[in-house]
Amino acid sequence: MKKILIVDDEEVIRMLYGEELEEEGYEVITAGSGHGLMEMIERDKPDLVILDIKMAEHDGLDLLQEIRKDFYNIPVILCSAYSSFKGDLKSIAADYYVVKSADLSELKQKIKMALEGQTPPQPSLK
Amino acid sequence: MPIEENPHGVQAADLIVGIPSYNEASLIAYPTQKASEGLIKYFGTKNSVIINCDNHSTDGTRETFMNTRTEVPKIYLSTPAGIRGKGNNFKNLFEKSCDLGAQAILVVDADLKSITPRWIKNLGEPLFEDFGFVAPLYVRHKYDGTITNNIAYPMTRCIYGRRVRQPIGGDFGFSGELAEVYLRQEDWTPAVSEFGIDIWMTTTAMCHGTPICQSYMGRPKVHKPKDPGESLGPMFLQVVGTIFDMMIKHADFWKEVRWSKPTAIFGFGLGEMEMPPPVDVNIARLYDKFQAGFADWESLWKDILSANLFEKLSEVRALPLGGFEFPANLWAEILIDFAVAYRNRINEKGTLMEGLIPLYFGRTCSFVTESEPMTIQQAEELIEEQCEVFETSKPYLLNKWSE
Repeated sequence: MKKILIVDDEEVIRMLYGEELEEEGYEVITAGSGHGLMEMIERDKPDLVILDIKMAEHDGLDLLQEIRKDFYNIPVILCSAYSSFKGDLKSIAADYYVVKSADLSELKQKIKMALEGQTPPQPSLK
Repeated sequence: MPIEENPHGVQAADLIVGIPSYNEASLIAYPTQKASEGLIKYFGTKNSVIINCDNHSTDGTRETFMNTRTEVPKIYLSTPAGIRGKGNNFKNLFEKSCDLGAQAILVVDADLKSITPRWIKNLGEPLFEDFGFVAPLYVRHKYDGTITNNIAYPMTRCIYGRRVRQPIGGDFGFSGELAEVYLRQEDWTPAVSEFGIDIWMTTTAMCHGTPICQSYMGRPKVHKPKDPGESLGPMFLQVVGTIFDMMIKHADFWKEVRWSKPTAIFGFGLGEMEMPPPVDVNIARLYDKFQAGFADWESLWKDILSANLFEKLSEVRALPLGGFEFPANLWAEILIDFAVAYRNRINEKGTLMEGLIPLYFGRTCSFVTESEPMTIQQAEELIEEQCEVFETSKPYLLNKWSE
């Protein structure tokens, strides 16, 4: 069973995503912030990380660079309520970028593709 | 033994900026000044030094460098007279870095016209945050860096699974630890001693498991660009030869890699970008050189290439310049066939590489033609599409390599 780590400071999002993804057959673990995130990844070895960009205590884009430094092979899907972060160069380091929505079909599709090793081409500079 | 001038008696340094050169007297003062400004502004608490690693230039490069006013001390380091090669300069730099106990080393080209102090910050800071290798990320004109766009980037990405957009960008950062790794390598070929050094450093970092990031420089790379049809020179042979040599050396590593992964990004976030100056390319000359290649190399191509590839190549040959197209998948598989022939030593390596040049001109002609009406962004997307094609060719590579 593939293990997915959801990193989001909104509990309701962690619950919603968690339930839906468990129904899809994934094992789900969660983190409410970036505190101890690298240790958690090292310990629990998730197959994929879903990472919120705008969290109260942490910038998801900075956490993404940390993940890439130590675990460059783990697929990371950036999630945000805003599409504007797509314009931030740092988001290039993610496998996918998904705008948060109550309909999780796009997220589920991206998870499937990322776990199969398919990543889209690197977005261009501008 | 390198020749050294160390007027300040520098015996230790945390951070080094190295500037490799050969006859760059007219341009080296500018990057030297900007490096000093960057070191003072962003790394004021560090013990820094700027080192010009030179090939015993005869145009006054040493004098210009040493006479450039900087707050940071400088060292001049040179190969003996008659010894050339960017890689030889870097080897001297690696040794000096280890002697000085440096934690971080940055290298910037001596002909850079657009470097700012912030380049020093962006190349250097990740090295103090546990990254071991920093590659540059900048906007370049769509016709600048054709070896990068059509060979080094897609090949590296396809083979090693790492997306490093400028694997031979020339402006890098690396840790002192990685400098020691570089010195321990035993594959110091003549090509690595020259222009093969950049791809060798990037590939070695990838295969050594070094944490890698790309750092956004904020300004386009403006240097002495070259028309690829006019002045390809030995650079092509050394870069592509080193790519093939590294494929042989690291085959066990890359055979396990399937798709590429993104790389960490350091530097600016949102913001407007400055566009690079235009680069002129003579499309007709590229086309003519591709066509002329058949006279000299047709029999070699027949020997090396799979029959269906040679057939497709013959179809491309028949296209007029007006409707010329050299498809990316054909190009990817040709490079793979050449890499396998290189490994199998079907021909003398130098001859083989010479035989690849007209095909490279053909692919470059096609890329330039296709991207002519495009913006830089659209051309970037075209390069990304080409990378996907290369990645899709990985099974072909694995198959051919195991034959």
